Amino acid sequence: MLDTLLSGQLLFAAVAISATYALVALGLNLVYGTMRLLNVAHGDLVMLGGYGAFWAFSIAGISPLLTLIAVAAAAAALGMLAYRGLFRGLLASQRAAARLESNSLLLFFGLSIIIQNAVALAVSATPRGYEYLSNVVQLGNAALTGNRLAALAIAVALLAAISLFLRMHLFGLAMRALIEHREAAAVVGVDIDRVQLASFGLGFGTAAVAGALVSMTEQVSPFMGFPFTIAAFVVIIMGGLGRIGGGIAAALVLGVIETYGVALTSASWRSILLYGVFVLVLMFRPQGLFGRRAVVR
Amino acid sequence: MKRVPQPVTRDLALILGLLAAAGLVPLVAGDYWTGVGIALLMAIALTQSWSILSSLSGYVSLGHVVFYGLGAYVVVASWGSLPIAVSLPVAALAAAAFAFVIGLPVLRVRGPYFVILTFGLAELVKFCVIAIEAAQGRASRLILGTPGLDTLFFLMLALAALATLLAWGARVTRLGHGLRAIRENEEAAQTLGVPVARYKLAAFVLSAAIPGAVGGVMALRATYFEPIQVFDPMVSFSMIAMAIIGGGDDLRGPLIGAIVLGTLSELLWASAPQLYMIILGLLLVIFVLFVPEGICGRLLRPAPPMARR
Repeated sequence: MLDTLLSGQLLFAAVAISATYALVALGLNLVYGTMRLLNVAHGDLVMLGGYGAFWAFSIAGISPLLTLIAVAAAAAALGMLAYRGLFRGLLASQRAAARLESNSLLLFFGLSIIIQNAVALAVSATPRGYEYLSNVVQLGNAALTGNRLAALAIAVALLAAISLFLRMHLFGLAMRALIEHREAAAVVGVDIDRVQLASFGLGFGTAAVAGALVSMTEQVSPFMGFPFTIAAFVVIIMGGLGRIGGGIAAALVLGVIETYGVALTSASWRSILLYGVFVLVLMFRPQGLFGRRAVVR
Repeated sequence: MKRVPQPVTRDLALILGLLAAAGLVPLVAGDYWTGVGIALLMAIALTQSWSILSSLSGYVSLGHVVFYGLGAYVVVASWGSLPIAVSLPVAALAAAAFAFVIGLPVLRVRGPYFVILTFGLAELVKFCVIAIEAAQGRASRLILGTPGLDTLFFLMLALAALATLLAWGARVTRLGHGLRAIRENEEAAQTLGVPVARYKLAAFVLSAAIPGAVGGVMALRATYFEPIQVFDPMVSFSMIAMAIIGGGDDLRGPLIGAIVLGTLSELLWASAPQLYMIILGLLLVIFVLFVPEGICGRLLRPAPPMARR
């Protein structure tokens, strides 16, 4: 038992799932931060990205590492389209926004049900997977498959790049300013419309990339998205709204709890741990573990 | 306090009359129609119960299946040792007790967070029950010697009537007025002396009881118990869709929504479940965006005598 717990393999698994959660949550953080509506269909973008990579590989034999770019672009376009076509109009009018706020979650839940079942109807509900880079790599005392290493490397690189962008680049700073304080950002001259458009693009895009990465190591199915949404909520609430560093730390906490919890018990505990952390965090620590500002208002 | 508004009580009489008429179905029609009747009555019982908390107070529960599932679990676990005359009330009590225990921390969370929290909570209980059953070495249970279809029909009819009575009671008492005040503005309601926490908890407990018994009856109807089925989040989702489509504030709303969606489900669920879910999702999106007051609010009371809000 102790051997398993101290093994590099388990540590690696925890880090890998944490990186995925951090990436999904980062996208949700951007969209939620700028729109202030909880998009429970966010996990379905992960699912769609996963299917994109699966189809490209199984039909045309295209490497998921290449498809990554395509699904990111497609999802980003979808996000910007959704913003321009639907949300900009809804958010512009105060009354519509106020009315929507209370029912927003039902709206997104309805959309999520539509997306999931449309995919299930179009393909099938059976989980699908593919073999890519499944050769075993020896790293210290841990034996890992190439696809896991590649997925982790890409996720970490992407997280680092986006963090740097949000900290260093003027446009990234504008994004964070908008998340922090909308009115103040407008006063100092942030182009709200452009920043929101970019946040939607970036948020949707990163979710799809996360999906493509997940599809390299796990099976895809139409209903796989929801746990990712839940995990992303946990990460945002624990880590704090608009806080990238806090989000990564929170993702690590969740990933470690889930991975080591499952190792100590059994695989059937994975969902209990995920939903258990979610319920506890939402009920008792809505102000976050690292942040001071409440996400839950 | 003002006198009880007349229309709600008239609606109650109307609905109870309809339910009494529905009692003829097993006597004149075959098993198929009795089965359809059970499904529709279940929808009415669940949606009326749901509306007590969610339509009146605005705390939209996306996890009401947890009460249904717990009730089913109680009845199935006690099958063979308790008669259903005992186990069904116990199922309702267990669901209400669970609502009472989790109510205080859960009802502190508001708005969309309450919605997603109730969903997460129901999923958490589902996976816990799956783990408990798995630890005892079983994935599902068969229940033998369940009552006949007609008995189940009349049990469900009684539950639908009881849920409607509770939903009516919640609308005409101080509780209902307080809950509506909470929905409009919780801080203002508290300032005016509405016992906010107590009312919310009372509504939560009231709305949980009947779904517990309904779950028990449906487990007997299925003669088969599998946690993943009795805790299916789609049960919660259906309750919301029915109430919103019908118009939950009105006593007739849940009834109309249950009949509309129940019929649709009867036509499509067996042959094309995914298509049914897509239509359900589309209807919910359309109603939330364009008809938030539901069919009842839009069509049945086109010109209220005075502004109701």
